[in-house]
Amino acid sequence: MNSSIDLVTVAQLLINGTLLGGLYALIAFGLSVVYGVANILNFAHGTMLAIAAISGAVLYEKFGLPIPVILIILVSFGFVFGWIFYLTLLQPLEKREPHQRTVGMVLVAVGALIIMGDVTAVLAGAEQRVIRVSSTYFEIRGVIISGTQIGILVGAAVCMIALHIFLTRSWTGSSIRAVAQNTIGATICGIDSARTSATTFALGAGIVAVAGLMYIISYPLNPYSGFPLTVKAFSIILLGGIGNLTGTLLAGLALGIGEAVVAFTIGPQWAAAVSILIVLGCLLLFPGLTTSRREA
Amino acid sequence: MNFSKTLASLAVASASLCGAAGYAVGQDNCPEVIKLGTTVSDSGAFSPLSAGWHEMIVAYAQKINDAGGVALSDCGSNASVELVVYDDQSNPATAVTLFEKMISEEGVDFLVGPDWSSLGLAVSSVAERHDIPVVMANVAAPNVYREGQTNVFGTPYPIVPLWSKRYFEMLETVEPKPTSIFFVVQDNPITNAISGFWTKQAEESSYSVVGTETFPSDLKDFTSIILKIRQAKPDIIYISSFDTASVPLVQQMRQLRVKAMDVHHVMLSGALANQVGEDVEGLSGEIGWINSIDNEESALAAEVMAEVGLDPFLSVFAIARYTPAVVMLQAIEMAGSVDRDKVRQMLRSATFEGPGGEIRFDHLGYPSETNGAFTIQIQDGNPEVVWPPELQTKPVAWPAPSWQ
Repeated sequence: MNSSIDLVTVAQLLINGTLLGGLYALIAFGLSVVYGVANILNFAHGTMLAIAAISGAVLYEKFGLPIPVILIILVSFGFVFGWIFYLTLLQPLEKREPHQRTVGMVLVAVGALIIMGDVTAVLAGAEQRVIRVSSTYFEIRGVIISGTQIGILVGAAVCMIALHIFLTRSWTGSSIRAVAQNTIGATICGIDSARTSATTFALGAGIVAVAGLMYIISYPLNPYSGFPLTVKAFSIILLGGIGNLTGTLLAGLALGIGEAVVAFTIGPQWAAAVSILIVLGCLLLFPGLTTSRREA
Repeated sequence: MNFSKTLASLAVASASLCGAAGYAVGQDNCPEVIKLGTTVSDSGAFSPLSAGWHEMIVAYAQKINDAGGVALSDCGSNASVELVVYDDQSNPATAVTLFEKMISEEGVDFLVGPDWSSLGLAVSSVAERHDIPVVMANVAAPNVYREGQTNVFGTPYPIVPLWSKRYFEMLETVEPKPTSIFFVVQDNPITNAISGFWTKQAEESSYSVVGTETFPSDLKDFTSIILKIRQAKPDIIYISSFDTASVPLVQQMRQLRVKAMDVHHVMLSGALANQVGEDVEGLSGEIGWINSIDNEESALAAEVMAEVGLDPFLSVFAIARYTPAVVMLQAIEMAGSVDRDKVRQMLRSATFEGPGGEIRFDHLGYPSETNGAFTIQIQDGNPEVVWPPELQTKPVAWPAPSWQ
């Protein structure tokens, strides 16, 4: 085997890593908003993504709906689901002591991911699904770029900008940030903190629905394959800064490229270890990272 | 006191002996109904692979009963077949509990199943403990078939040493002849065993092995592997993977315009074809059974599968699930009764007629001479048998046009 690495191979590796990183960033945005702003460690994040993705695949296969229509349905449903999920399962925990609240939320999220995975497997089947859409490919001097993946990268950037504008320019966004900074102060100023937290969680669920649809257009998923994505998303928001959307995008790209390089130079079985190493490294080097917040 | 103890011990010993004798006497070698016990993974992680199998084996038993049952020559009578089937939930511990229950409470005569090596390994101990012959289904791991066991047999196929035998036979006949091969392997005991065996065979057959890449089952981005394949420029890309694990691999190979004389997938199935779509065109692979095989059991299997709506290409492992009951009933018929010693002896020594051809077990209970691998190639969206020539539905398209 020719062991020398040519420029085309390097360029292809970096481009595919970047495009994969865009998808990772999109996956992490929802968690960044929910954890960074509402301080909810949602371990069911990846499972919610898988369920949204599978719902999208079912809508595409069974009803032949176009992708934009599926996107609207999934985002709407994700938002409503997130709202109800928060009000029924998480909001009661807000009244508890801080450590009880944290542990309770983790337990609820873990329980929810198990139940949601099983229910989806019963309703839609446990087999993996993928949405096959025809894509355009561009070839530049031997380097091939997928139109779909470019679309996902652009989508991630648009999503980040839209979220940033929403959080910084709208009244709801300002109230979300106010509740995140000081719940009591925000309440004194007339903000309904429970409603605002529900909105934040629902917003995160809506973003997850977008990410789920984009993911299943690129790669297959089954109802149980969401948890590794939660780990990736968590490592991205740790690396990029919790609540920092620009940092999340850059960290997602770094993870995508890092995985591609590790897979090529060491072996594909080591690619998944990159995100775990990031989590471990961040927690060891910066112990206060999980409790620190940056401006969205 | 001592006398009382001795008396009590004698009483217990006598009761035990009577019980054992009663059990032996209670075995009716000429029953009206033969009870076969099995489990199917109707739920749990493996359930997507075994959809429709429960109905299939029940329909097979019904066919046997409709045809008059199983002839017991020593008894001068026929016996009908009753299948006792439970859902093992894809869980080894559940499977063990259910097989214990079938033996101790349901009084099954023989065992046919389960599927999957993890469950098979656990259930083999149950069969040995109760001294009841079992013919297992999709249990391919060689470590299940161990020295010292007398009751454990299995009909997984294709089996590792014969998996790609016909494919490599075919490669000797094609023009232009391929000279180099690249192995892409899912990190799994079975797929590792297949690639390990055939890497050695390929080297001995003077092929140049230009690369071997192993990937974890949940890998989604195969760019690194594909770039290495593109650098190596092999004539053959040999993918040793379960069908759904390699869906993104095949898709991304197309996207990155990989070229080769042939891309071979050892578990090419309808599930893979459905998910990959038109990109599957030209892929070659193996299938465990094709209904064009001309024998009585093959015709019956085709009838049963059609009745329950099972497509053998969509459910490629269905035939290995179907075959244990076929083999067990043939063994009983050859033995002339349900005498377990006689049936066990038949399983060890006889040749059985399976849907995919003859089945013989070696001294470990492994069907070492059973070749159920037929080489197929997707042509115009359909799986066509391209080797062996006597069962060919279409000649092989070589080099595969879609990979040029």
